Amino acid sequence: MKQPSRTLSLASLTAPVAMGYIPLGAICGFLFVQAGGPAWLAVAASALIYAGAAQFMMVPMLAAGLPLSTIGLATLVLNLRHVFYGLSLLNTLPAVRWQRWYVIFSLTDETYSVLTALPAEQRRQRIMLLSVLNQGWWILGTTLGAVLGGQAHWELNGLDFVLAALFAVLAVEQWRARQDAFPIWVALVAWAIAQTLLPSQALALAIGLSLLAVAMRPGHGIGSRAPHD
Amino acid sequence: MDDPLYLLAAIGLMALITGLLRALPFMAGHWLRHHPLVHKLGGSLPMAIMVLLLIDTAAGQAHNHPGLPWPEVAAVAMVALLQWRLKHTLLSIVAGTAAYMLMLGG
Repeated sequence: MKQPSRTLSLASLTAPVAMGYIPLGAICGFLFVQAGGPAWLAVAASALIYAGAAQFMMVPMLAAGLPLSTIGLATLVLNLRHVFYGLSLLNTLPAVRWQRWYVIFSLTDETYSVLTALPAEQRRQRIMLLSVLNQGWWILGTTLGAVLGGQAHWELNGLDFVLAALFAVLAVEQWRARQDAFPIWVALVAWAIAQTLLPSQALALAIGLSLLAVAMRPGHGIGSRAPHD
Repeated sequence: MDDPLYLLAAIGLMALITGLLRALPFMAGHWLRHHPLVHKLGGSLPMAIMVLLLIDTAAGQAHNHPGLPWPEVAAVAMVALLQWRLKHTLLSIVAGTAAYMLMLGG
């Protein structure tokens, strides 16, 4: 048994998330309302979906009136990574049933990374309150941004770059976790092929090609990171 | 964006799909953890998808202005470098987006 290792206060765990979620949530709510959506739906999205990248992505898709099937597929692909987060937290869920479901529902990139930074024995007792607080910051930010966006039309050319910036941040964090260049090359080649063959559906085709390439790669699982190949 | 029913349906669908993805490992964790293909996909697919989404989004941005996609390349490089060195998500996103807006407007 380890000695009772450094106990991090709840505030010190949620404060960095708050500093990210309030402004990013605000930009998200702001863009949604500026695109013509009602403020209450921006807040509803933060309460029900609670996935930053997906909520940024949906704004131009909804503004373009894309079919639900396209939006659903994009959400599926974008949030596929959550499946792999849950796998590593299987044994740290709260004992109470409704709390367990809430924690599962609210497992975001940031909550996940804060949790994995905690010693395993502290996770179970903190996971619930931490999850509630983190979603609270996100909803608060969205509400502020939605209200602000409803006041006037602002000429903020390029603000929607936050989505690309968010993807860049997530890619860097993937790289930090697993320094493996193979998926990057797969993605670049797949995108080039898809752009040539089917420019109108390039992303979907490129994702399909990447999935095939990754599935056919010999002997490379989560556990096998040894440089033996 | 002026049909609340469409918006509500889209948000509901996105909530459902996201929720199911988050619940999947807890409902089928045993099966998923022991399936070699899942391990393989879990190892490499998230990175490949993130790179694809990044290229696709940045390329989409580049279509909104004339000329070559230098503002996108520069801003993405800036975000990646900041995130790699400082691990501060908000700072990386805000600085990169502000730089991008300046490059477009300036």
